[in-house]
Amino acid sequence: MERFVLMILAQRRTLLRSAVLLALSSLGPMIAHAQKWTEPTPEELKMTSQAEAPGAAAVYLYREEITDDKLHMFSIYIRLKVLTDKGKEYGNVELPYYSVSGGGGFTINDIAGRTIHPDGTVIPFSGKPYEKLMEKTQEVKQMAKVFSLPDVEVGSIIEYRYTKRYDDHYFISPRWFIQTGLFTRKAHYVWRPTSLQLTSSDDRGQLTSMIAWTPILPKGAEVKQTRAPGNDGQLTLEVNVQDVPPAPDEELMPPINSLTYRVLFYYSPYRSNEDFWKSEGKHWSKVHDKFIGPGSGVKSAVQQLTAPTDTEEQKLRKIYAAVMELENTDFTHDHSASEEKSQGLKVANNTDDILTRKRGSGDQLAELFVAMARAAGMKAYLVAVTDRNRRLFLQSFFSLEQLDDYVATVNVDGKEQNFDPGSRYCPYGFIAWKHTQSGGLRQVDGGTMLIQTPPVGYTSSRVMRVANLTMDEHGMTTGTVKLTYTGDPALHWRQLALGGDAASLERGLRTRAEHLMPAGMEIKVDLIENVKEYEKPLVASFTVKGVMGSSTGKRILLPGDVFEMNTKPTFSHDKREIAVAFDYAYLTQDAVRINFPNTMAVETLPEGKSFMFQKSIAYGLKTETTPTSVTFRREFALGEILYMPPEYPELKSFYNRVETKDQENVVLKVLVPGNTKPAGGGN
Amino acid sequence: MLFFWKGPMVLRRVVAGPPGVNFLSSLMMLACVAFIVPTASAAKKDSVPDWVRSAAAQTVPTYSSETNAVVLLHETNYTVSADGQAVEHVRRVVKILRPAGRDEGIVYVHFDKDTKILSLHVWSIGPDGHEYEVKDHEMVEIGSAGQGNLYDDNKYKAVRAPGRDPGGVIAYEYEQHARPYLKEKTWFFQEDIPRLKQSFTLELPAGFAYSTSWAHHDTAKATDLEHQHWLWEMKDTPAIDLQHVLMKPSAPALMGRMTIHYGVAGTPEASKGDWKGIGEWYRTLSQDRLITTPEITAKANELTLGKADFYDKSEAIAEFVQKQVRYFVIEMGIGGYQPHFAGDIFHNRYGDCKDKATLLSAMLSSVGVHSALMMVDHRRGVIDPDAPSIVGDHMIAAIEVPKGYESPLLRSVITAKTGKRYLIFDPTWEKTAFGQLEHNLQGGYGVLMEGSDSQIVELPILSPELNTIHRTGNFHLDADGSLKGTVTEKRFGDLSEDNRTLYTTGDAKEQKEYMDHVLERDFTTFHVADVKIENADALNKDLTTTYTLAAERFGKNMGSLLMVRPRVLGSEYLEADHKARLVPINLRQTMQAKDEYDIELPAGYTVDEVPVPVKLDMGFASYQSSTVFRDNVLHYTRTYTVRAVTLPPEKYGDLQKLAGVIAADEQNHAVLKKQ
Repeated sequence: MERFVLMILAQRRTLLRSAVLLALSSLGPMIAHAQKWTEPTPEELKMTSQAEAPGAAAVYLYREEITDDKLHMFSIYIRLKVLTDKGKEYGNVELPYYSVSGGGGFTINDIAGRTIHPDGTVIPFSGKPYEKLMEKTQEVKQMAKVFSLPDVEVGSIIEYRYTKRYDDHYFISPRWFIQTGLFTRKAHYVWRPTSLQLTSSDDRGQLTSMIAWTPILPKGAEVKQTRAPGNDGQLTLEVNVQDVPPAPDEELMPPINSLTYRVLFYYSPYRSNEDFWKSEGKHWSKVHDKFIGPGSGVKSAVQQLTAPTDTEEQKLRKIYAAVMELENTDFTHDHSASEEKSQGLKVANNTDDILTRKRGSGDQLAELFVAMARAAGMKAYLVAVTDRNRRLFLQSFFSLEQLDDYVATVNVDGKEQNFDPGSRYCPYGFIAWKHTQSGGLRQVDGGTMLIQTPPVGYTSSRVMRVANLTMDEHGMTTGTVKLTYTGDPALHWRQLALGGDAASLERGLRTRAEHLMPAGMEIKVDLIENVKEYEKPLVASFTVKGVMGSSTGKRILLPGDVFEMNTKPTFSHDKREIAVAFDYAYLTQDAVRINFPNTMAVETLPEGKSFMFQKSIAYGLKTETTPTSVTFRREFALGEILYMPPEYPELKSFYNRVETKDQENVVLKVLVPGNTKPAGGGN
Repeated sequence: MLFFWKGPMVLRRVVAGPPGVNFLSSLMMLACVAFIVPTASAAKKDSVPDWVRSAAAQTVPTYSSETNAVVLLHETNYTVSADGQAVEHVRRVVKILRPAGRDEGIVYVHFDKDTKILSLHVWSIGPDGHEYEVKDHEMVEIGSAGQGNLYDDNKYKAVRAPGRDPGGVIAYEYEQHARPYLKEKTWFFQEDIPRLKQSFTLELPAGFAYSTSWAHHDTAKATDLEHQHWLWEMKDTPAIDLQHVLMKPSAPALMGRMTIHYGVAGTPEASKGDWKGIGEWYRTLSQDRLITTPEITAKANELTLGKADFYDKSEAIAEFVQKQVRYFVIEMGIGGYQPHFAGDIFHNRYGDCKDKATLLSAMLSSVGVHSALMMVDHRRGVIDPDAPSIVGDHMIAAIEVPKGYESPLLRSVITAKTGKRYLIFDPTWEKTAFGQLEHNLQGGYGVLMEGSDSQIVELPILSPELNTIHRTGNFHLDADGSLKGTVTEKRFGDLSEDNRTLYTTGDAKEQKEYMDHVLERDFTTFHVADVKIENADALNKDLTTTYTLAAERFGKNMGSLLMVRPRVLGSEYLEADHKARLVPINLRQTMQAKDEYDIELPAGYTVDEVPVPVKLDMGFASYQSSTVFRDNVLHYTRTYTVRAVTLPPEKYGDLQKLAGVIAADEQNHAVLKKQ
């Protein structure tokens, strides 16, 4: 709620302060009246569950949030029914607040509460909230008022209310987050905005003339506007909702936490969505162009780095490689002012400073890349995108906050290409998955435009898994395993290594191999190649040793594709409410050869098969055999990443079919009985 | 189990030692100070003190590549004044060895209203040799957020030191008041990184004396520096790093510590710190808190109305406190040790572990049942019977069993040196049946707070038959490999805890997802229906789950063969690695799992081969399984029993063997053939 802060015009402060004081004194009786509690209905007292949310720990019977700009105050009122033991935790309430030296922050006041037992007994909260320190720095003191409602038991209705007051010099537009983790029977939200003209507290200091909002509301709900009679009649914005389900939460769900039911308000100088993105985009571009430059340092560096005879692509590859060499502090740590000072560095004001430091955040390095491309004479643009791992871009939301990271677009030899220099070890021309298929804002000549980043094909992200294993007559298996990663899977391991060292990377890869291979196998890392050579695949080689498969006496059962034997079903739930979203498209290719002694022979072998799902997911298994070996070749390609709920049954069925196929065994017949013993055998 | 969520760690400040000892605190600090960065340097060039430079100049031995950092110097000076009040002065210098050690550069010092920090200075030397001095305004104060506590006054002064990169050196020095009401100081001299050089200096006023006790370490002799000064020194103290150890014990159960008791010479507290002394001290804190009130008595009488039997009466009251009194913490200063008044706890219906134990004791006393408080630690092995101290993190109740009273329902009973028997019960542990004791306390020690009869007692290890899973299934297999049938799972004891929690507090979606996730370990395609749960809240009865199950392609058609896994569902998989074992093995709990599955074969098929029976008894555990074919039905049975809670490291080979046998048996198949 406190993100979009606007300050009143300086010349009106005094007037306003007087007005607030007057209002406060005259509103005393009205506030007292508002403190009345709601009498529970017999049904509320008796209820033990909510049909729409079976087994829920608690439900909100009523939630209310009233924002009154004249009072600089939010009033919050909660009525909640406790349905299980877990729901009793809602009786413990923590209300954070903060103060800023030199003004700012807010306070929590007027806390009141009570507990009502199912028999109607009322136990008022008579205690005093504790003042709990959360964090105190020289500038900010964050505290919380904490209290526990008395004698909360299963079946209790708990009620509490409080107010949040802001500094008189500020106005804060409300953000109503209507959908929570609990079912809500009824909720009521009101905002009485100021009619004063305000100015934003950001670097632009714009005058506001509008109130705007982004509504994401359940069917039938709307933001209702009413205005009191008269020329200066108070505007009231209001939302009433009922029977709001809990926020969805499913596995492999898109990042829709940014799209739960809500209304986000803002004071705005803009009359339309287009106006907002055009004007704010232009300003954003200007500010960043100032930082990007390029300045003399960048120009000089580019001159030294590139040759006049280089093609644009050759130049850009050199520039990209140079940027990738720099320390990306997103993966190490920010350097404090005292550290920078000790190195003779001042605050970074432009890309020359970033180049001098030889380090920067991912965003700063993206800006440096754009600067260097420009210095090399190319048209290069900064692009701000939403991190798809965190949220989805919403054009109707008037906020640049939803743009998390910077990537770059460069015109190379007449064709625009995208780059992700802020994601260290991302190959040239490759975009990390979290920045693909996402919305954002990019620079264009003379302004900005909204864009959608393109998808990346499944062949760009590959995992090749090769095993060459030899089993003796006792089931003891030795051999080698090689895992080769390209694209996003390689980026994952490389960036993990950036936060650690060779030992942590080795442990991570070994653990990965252990999870893939049969339980109990001893796995040693032999070699990890190309950790820093990001244009090449990352390769990890292992030696493995251990018992594999199981024995029945006359037969030995071996897993087919050993890399899939521990895989659990991707989808086990029958129903699905939200679309399925995978991170990125990919291709997995396996080749597994198991050699065995000539005292055994293949009795049965999984049949080769291939099948597809909607031309977007493909699976293929081929098997080969010789008198002393079996070989499996498996391919799995995920071509699309989003599948809507109606597609779920078919999608689940496809995955089940694949996973069942992968669990099929090779049956070896023991030609010389008595030579084998059960794998891992005890007795 | 998510123990830390339950948070019965009210006495944790007792064990709060040097950085690295309190893992939970470390995590919290990392989270909280993530955005705190020193901002500006003074005009004067920063410089570190000579003692820091000297420590940093030491040659660091070669450690394993996974050693994050090394303590170059850790000095503690503990000075007691004539009035018995003490001040602690600490100097610490740490060198970061690898990126994962950067967190050692986050300096934090705990304090609360009784342990005021008198001074704190932080310095560092970057890998490039640059020296830094952190300014006061760059430090922050952080409250004790989370941990399930409603309110406590635990706070930290913290800062992220500059130069905290591999090769960097972080140093700090602070002076702090010790708790005014304690005459005990514990020096924790081991942590998760090695210490090169460390010392502890004790300074007592004239007329004072001290005694020491050592846990997890041999007694070391102090150097008498004269004038009531004593010095203990250590070099090259190894780390207790359990980060990648499977089935690990708790680190504080292995870390060495020395506890000093001091006081006026000739008084009990000075001459010997013993369990009796600790119990007597605690009586002064708790005796008025245990006093019952008319409301408490009325409720106790109401609960026990018509009950004459000791067990029945005690159970009724214990279950009331266990289920009707919410757990959470409100504590300040001595509130870390001292319970609230029983009357207040009863009125509010909430409290922490010592509050719940106190209320239970008060209610029992009002119906004529005597009980005592008992200090324990949820990390088995932390309390050492040979090292009396108040190091412990949890409080439970010891209910005196009437002389001659016997009942099979009293399972967690100890006999004190006085000859009195006590039923040990933890009212904070919400899913442990009355009469039993949660597994993490079993085999540990507790301090029976019985005034002059206070003593250390060993807590019992309960029989495996009191902690069980029993799965049975009757299935029919079709020729296409489909399996259909019914499953019944009965759980009792701690093994039922998570499921009881799920079925009493989880919503329908959580319950369904849990069931799906359990079954997806054994089936690729399945459907569950007719799920029925019984006795979820009846802790002294089996939690029973029944359902029907249909699994497609369970049997694998391989040419003319049909491969079937007789162990249809449920896993007792043990994860054991191939590394040399150096620390004891934590088996967690005694238990017994039994599986019995009948699979009726499809018409036209017969059994060609069944898995070889398995029978293995390692003493600490046994495993046996068999598959037989009879009357067209494949019968699978297995029993897995664990009889111990910890094993010495030498037994790791046996454990590896057991793990291999279980893993192999769980994957075994029967081979069916078309007739």
